[in-house]
Parts: sequence; C-alpha cells; structure tokens
Amino acid sequence: MVNYGGDEVSALVVDIGSSSIRAGYAGDDTPKAIVPTTYGFTEESPSANEDIKMSEANEGEETEKPRVNLYIGQNGPSLWRENMEVSNPMQNGLIVDFNPISPLISHCLNDVMRCNPSEHPVLVTEPAWNTQENRERMAEIMFEEFQVPAFYIANTGVLNAFAAGKGSALVIDIGQSAASVTPVVDGFVLRKGLQYSSLPQLVTAHARHLLINPTSRRPAIHLWPQQLIASKQPVDAGQNPKFELRSDRVAKTTASWKKWAEDREVDEWMQSVAGVVDQGWNEQFAHQRGPKHYEFPTGYNYYFNGIERHSVGEQFFTHSRQLVETNPNLPKHLPALISSALSACDPDLRQVLMGNVVLSGGGSQFPGLADRLANELTRSFPHVKIHAPGNPIERRYGGWLGGSILASLGTFHQLWISKEEWQEHGRAIVNQRCK
Amino acid sequence: MAGASAADVRSILSLPNPSTAGPSQPRKPAVPAERARKPEGISRELYSLIGPSVPSLAAQLAKPRLKQKPNLGGGGRVKWEWRSFKNGARSDGFELSHWAKAGSDPNAEYPFAKYNVQTTSYVYSQEEYARLLEDAEWTKEETDYLFNLVREYDSRFHVVYDRYEYPSGPQRTLEDLKDRYFSVCRKLVRDRPWAGDEASKNQLLSSLQFDKERETTRKKYVTSLEDRTPEQVAEEDALFVELQRLEQNERRFKRDRDELLRTLLGIESGLPDVQVDEEGLNGAPQESKKRKRGGNAGADLDTPVSASPSVIALGPAIPKKAQSAKNAAFDAQNCIIRTEVPATTSSSTKVAHQPVYLRSYKLPTPKMTAAPKVAQVLGELGISHTRLVMPTRENCAQLEFLLEAGAALVETKKSVDKIEQDIRIAKARLDNRQSEDADGEGTGDAAPTPMDVDEVNDADADAEGEVDGRAQSVMSTRSTRSARGRRSV
Repeated sequence: MVNYGGDEVSALVVDIGSSSIRAGYAGDDTPKAIVPTTYGFTEESPSANEDIKMSEANEGEETEKPRVNLYIGQNGPSLWRENMEVSNPMQNGLIVDFNPISPLISHCLNDVMRCNPSEHPVLVTEPAWNTQENRERMAEIMFEEFQVPAFYIANTGVLNAFAAGKGSALVIDIGQSAASVTPVVDGFVLRKGLQYSSLPQLVTAHARHLLINPTSRRPAIHLWPQQLIASKQPVDAGQNPKFELRSDRVAKTTASWKKWAEDREVDEWMQSVAGVVDQGWNEQFAHQRGPKHYEFPTGYNYYFNGIERHSVGEQFFTHSRQLVETNPNLPKHLPALISSALSACDPDLRQVLMGNVVLSGGGSQFPGLADRLANELTRSFPHVKIHAPGNPIERRYGGWLGGSILASLGTFHQLWISKEEWQEHGRAIVNQRCK
Repeated sequence: MAGASAADVRSILSLPNPSTAGPSQPRKPAVPAERARKPEGISRELYSLIGPSVPSLAAQLAKPRLKQKPNLGGGGRVKWEWRSFKNGARSDGFELSHWAKAGSDPNAEYPFAKYNVQTTSYVYSQEEYARLLEDAEWTKEETDYLFNLVREYDSRFHVVYDRYEYPSGPQRTLEDLKDRYFSVCRKLVRDRPWAGDEASKNQLLSSLQFDKERETTRKKYVTSLEDRTPEQVAEEDALFVELQRLEQNERRFKRDRDELLRTLLGIESGLPDVQVDEEGLNGAPQESKKRKRGGNAGADLDTPVSASPSVIALGPAIPKKAQSAKNAAFDAQNCIIRTEVPATTSSSTKVAHQPVYLRSYKLPTPKMTAAPKVAQVLGELGISHTRLVMPTRENCAQLEFLLEAGAALVETKKSVDKIEQDIRIAKARLDNRQSEDADGEGTGDAAPTPMDVDEVNDADADAEGEVDGRAQSVMSTRSTRSARGRRSV
C-alpha cells in the first residue's frame, strides 16, 4: 500500500481546457470523460414548448427571464439546431464566464462518469496565470454547488511537470487558445518567468486565411460544414465543387455556430495536412515533403503542396516581417516565449530548466513540431533535453495526468481544503493552501 | 535351411528345449503371476505399456517429489474494507477514506503523515531584533515578511525570490534575500545559548554561511558564460581540442625521450621507473650493468663506490655496508677482484659515465701512431694483441706490459733512425768539405757515402740491440732490409 507512495482516496480530477474538459478518477492513466468546452444554447421565451434537452444541466433557467437551453457534450454544439448559438467560457486559457461552468462539470461528473461529486474529493486545474478571484470562484462552485468534501486547485504547469516525472521543468504547453512556457522549480511555478501568448489562435487564423483566399492555382475554398450540405457530387482534385446547401437550415443558422463550424473545418484540415519543417524554414525542403490530399465537406478536394502545408506550422516559430509590421501586438512565437522565460529566471536555474523541457498540449502534436523545437533549442543552448511523450493521450492530457498522479499520492492528502476549512476560513484558504 | 529356426534344429537333433531363451530366440511374453496389482502412482496407460517388468522404477515414479508450492498471502483471502482515516499531518479533523486491510488497526497513524517534516525556522523576538538584528537597509517588517516567505516555501530561495513582493520596499536580488536571511540566522545562533557541543554549533554556523560578494561574482561569470555567441563557443571548443592535441603530442614526446634515455643511460638517466633486475645473471653486458648499478643505487652513498668497471659482479647484489666486513674473504671466495675507480660524482652526463664491460672487450691497445709497428713486432713474436685466449687479469697486465715494451722499442728505433740520419748528413757534409779541401772529384763520391753511413748505423743498432735483448731480432722492415743489404755488401 505504501509502495510508490500512492494512496487512493477515490479523488476526482477535473482539467478544464479551452477545447475540452477532462475528468476522471485520480490514479487512472486516462480521463474517463472528455467533453468539449464549447457548448450550444438557445434562448426561448418561457411559454415556448419544451425542447429536447441534451442534458439536464440547465442551471441558468431560474436566473433569467428567457429560458436558456444548454447543449453540452459530444452532441452539443456539433448537432445543428435552429437558432443555436455557440459559446465558450474560456479565453486565453482563463475562465471568463462562470455561468456554464457548473453545467459543464456536472455533465462530466454526473452524466458521463455517473458519480456523485459529493462523495469524492475534487482536484481542479488552473493555468499559471489564473487570477485569485477565478480560483476562489471555482472553489465556491465546487463546495457550494457540488458539495464536495474536499477541494484543491493545482497549476497545469506543475501538473505537466509531474506527469513527466519531474519536479523542476520548463513546461511548454501548447493548447487550443494559448501557448505557455512555464518554469517550474521544486513544484512551484516561477511567476516571473511565466510567458504565454495566444499563438495557437494566430496559427488557426493563418490557416483559415490561407484556405478562404484564392491562390494562383486554386479558387477560394468554402468552409461549409457537413451539417449544412444537402448533397454533393464527386469532383476531380482542384475542380470546383458541386454541392447543394440545405437552404432550410442556412437561414436559421446563427453566426456563432457558423464560425464555430468553420473553425472546426480549418482545425481538421490542419490536423490532417499541416506540419512543421523540422530544420528551419526552407521552401525547397518544404516542397520536397510532397503534396497531401484533403477533401472538404463540400466535395472540393485538392493536393496541398508542401510549402502551403508547412507554412502553417511555421507560424509557431517565425513571423513574417509584414505580419510583424502590420500587427503591433502579435502574439510571441515559441522561441521568443522560451528565451524571455529563461532570461527572467536565475542563471543557476537555466541549466536545470533546459535539461528538463516538457512539451505538452494538443497543439504540440503538429507533425514535426517536437523535432523543430529540439533543433531550435539545441542551436542556442548547449545541453537541452526535451521530454515529449510519444503517447498522444499523455501529450494532450498531460495536465490531467499530473493531477491524477498528484491526487493519488499519500503525502498529498494533507493539502486538501476540506469543507470544514472552507466554512471556517472562507475564500482566503484557497490562496493560502494552493501556492 | 534359411527358414529353419533354432527350435527346428533342436527338434531335429532331439535336444531338450532350454529353460532360458537364447539371445537369438524371440522372448516369449512372460505371463505374470498376479497381473491385477498395479503399483500406486503410475497411470493405467503407462502401466499397460511398460507392464510389471519395471517394479523398481515404478516405486520411484510413485511419488514425484516436487518443490512445495509457495504459500502466497498466508492462504486465506484478504479482506479489504473502505474505511475512513485521519491524517495526522492535517490540522483539522478532516477524514478521507481509502481501502484498508480488514484486520489492520483502524486507529493506527496514517503511514504518510511521517513524511510531513517541518524545517526548522528561526523566530526572533522584538527585543532580539532591536539588540542584534538592526540593519540600515532592512526594516523589521520586511525582515518578518522575508522570514514568513522562507518558512512558507521551506527555504526554497528561488521560489521565495519569485514570490517576494514587499510593498514599497526596494528591489531586492536573490542574493540580498539570502544574505539577510542567513546573517540574521547566524546572529541568532551565536547569541542564543547552545545546548549541544561547540563542534555542532560551528557546523550549523558554517551551514548558514553566505558570501554575497562571491555569489554575485559567480553569477556574473555564469551569465557571461551563457552569453557567449555560437562563434565564441565554437572557437573555444576548437581551441580546447587543439590544446588537447598539443598535450597529447607533448606526452608522446616525453615518453619517447624517456624511452630513449632509459635505453642509453639506464639508471643514470635519473628516471624513476628503470627496471632493476635484482635476481639472476643475464648474459648481455648491458643488462648486467643495469643490475649492478641498481644494486649500487640502493646502497648508501657514503660507502665507497667499489663497483669496478672491469668486473662483472656475479651473484646477488648485496648492500655494500654488509659486505664491507667480510669483503676480502668474500672476494677471495668468489674470485672477485676490485679495482678502485674514481667515484664519478654527478655522473648524470653521458661522458663521465663508464659502464660495466667485459675485460676481453677492453684489451689494451698500442698507441695509434705506433700501432702498426707494434702489431708487426707482436706478429713476429706470434702473439695477437687483439685477442687473448684467456684474458685474465694477469694476462692482460702482461699483454699491456708487452705492448708498452713494443711501443718503447719502436720509439727507440725511431729516435735511433733519426740520429743515424743526422750522423749521415753530418758525415756527408764532412766528406764534401774534405773533398773540397782535397780538391778531388767530389760529385762522383756522393754515391758510396750512404753505404758507409749505413754500416755505422748498423753497428750502432747492434750495440743498442745488445741492451734490448730479445727485441734485437724483431726490427722494422727497413732495418732488416738494411741489415740484409749490409750482409750482401
């Protein structure tokens, strides 16, 4: 029992990210519930007839006069519904809208995991730049709404380091909306060295720009999602698509849903086609990688050549001069994030941090990104060792995995904020306990 | 005949059937007396195959003695129960639940509570602060803040520095914080009564030592090391490789030089690791020299260097001090003859050193100028001066004496010749003057003159030969020829 220092108290771990919420039991190696953070909602007057509700999580119904139906989960925003808006409570990794948070967590714990949160201690993750109000609000939600017996909020940077088995590490976490470089020393984040930017959003925007604008060899690409397409016919590669829209739906589609659906098309295109040249940008080299075929929901299909595919991933590492000139507050690219994080750290620590670089997050799974990062770092630092898990689950859900490890440690159980302490000390206990 | 069996032959010859079957006869299946009893521990199929003919084997087969199965987990099932527990490391009474063995003590201390180790933190009173810890740069409030942070983060100064945000305080570096913290701790430890011994107090004080200047300088160096450009790093690497190459070359040169010195000079080279062969006699003079010298080197420097260059020491090299007492007796017994040689002090130079040699290698030779003549003299005597059959000490001395005598003879002969020549010239002059005086045909008389001189010469030589004795007959070719010429005349 004492072996490996583990002591299971059936704790739950909830890791809230921009793209998905991961929840599961501490001690597991994979989250049990992976739910998109983006949710759909419709507003209707209270007199309207009862719609099909995808979840029981409609907590907002008492607060506002118009009744709000939330659509959460795998069948939430991805099913087309009349006048359904789509929203995401996260911005740059931070929770900005707490209203849908408890329905989302409730969906994960009650509906997907089918467990009662009032019986389990819950560990929640937060980004390193989380605000004090946010973590206190989270504690409040967990204690007051879910009646959890104990609560703890841990930093994703620290948890990613723990998932890699390191106490001190330089954690490079590339998510869907934010990329961050976090120096972690002895399990503590060095806040002065913390760097983050909305770089992944820039990459997505670049890819979208690339697709919807015509080039000399292909027309502009329509990003209609498959939910809005009635029929299509096969066409040769590069030919104009032949498809018919579902005009009944198009009229009742909201702008936010359309934006979300188009972004998903861009995302899928990136995931299947885009990549990073691992030895620095070289057009000839990128061209040699060869074209890749991709077909959009409209039926349009095309062989995207190497330069086009790899220029997307290149945004992680370099920004073109014209982009820098036109956009003054451009998000920092990865090498800039790393070097500014390091320069803010003590010179004694730099060696330690560069020897323990942990790469994490779903955005880091761009093909070739880990190799490129290793090449860039070895060029400027003599002794670099990058820990990038090969297992995609470990890479994407590193934060959750670290939380799963932490919450199942016997020595950790003294750190839980118990309900008794919450009631006694109030909000201040959160900052006091979770350093 | 081919079809007939042994039984047929027996019946023809009316021989009785043998009680035991012959080797060529097929064995009749023996009908067992009691077939029914199958031994224990043998399967029915196996028994029907091998039959009862192998009872001894069957007895062994009966109980295959295998290793006893390990008794894992004490046999019975372990019962676990979901049980709440109290964590001793927690300040509140919060209880979590975990799976525990049913039999275990429910009130036992939580096994992980012992890892909750608190670091010793220093606390000072207002009075102590006023008396000891006043600092112009630090207020008491800020010092309190620093000590709280250090306690909170368990002396992880990197984290303390990261979280250090004292309102309206000056900008502090990590070294400032460490310096302040450790200096306060040192003062407290020095001032307070110490329960333990002095050594442990000093140890504690040295663990609290912090040199701010040194740390700052060191950090500056680290930073400058990191700020090198790739070109500088590459150049440094190249220089390092070059340095290593040069060092390796130098080592190789030194090794070669040492090897050479060792070969040429042996122990005299002054190298520490010359091989000194203490035991046994090696045939080569070079090695025996080494050995002898090695023995000498081991001896005291005060003892006279008795190592003779003309003697090979047989037997083990004995330290000279022990040897000196029975020196004479030992030498006589072992036929050792010692020659006093001038001790070559500071004989590290090659010139001064005289290695050991065999006597036969250093036979006395005549002087270079007179060598051919002396050789001729010896040749007439039937003696070869280059090779002695038995170069003992005495023989060598005699040969040397002989050579000296020969050389003296040759020398004498030479001076004699010279004097004869002078006499002849003088005589010739005299004759010339006489003939001038006598007014005769002086030119024609020139020829016979040498003959007369020769005669006189020979007479002189004979007179001298009387003195030299044996050497008389062994004269130079010229003298013999002149003697013959004289006889012919």
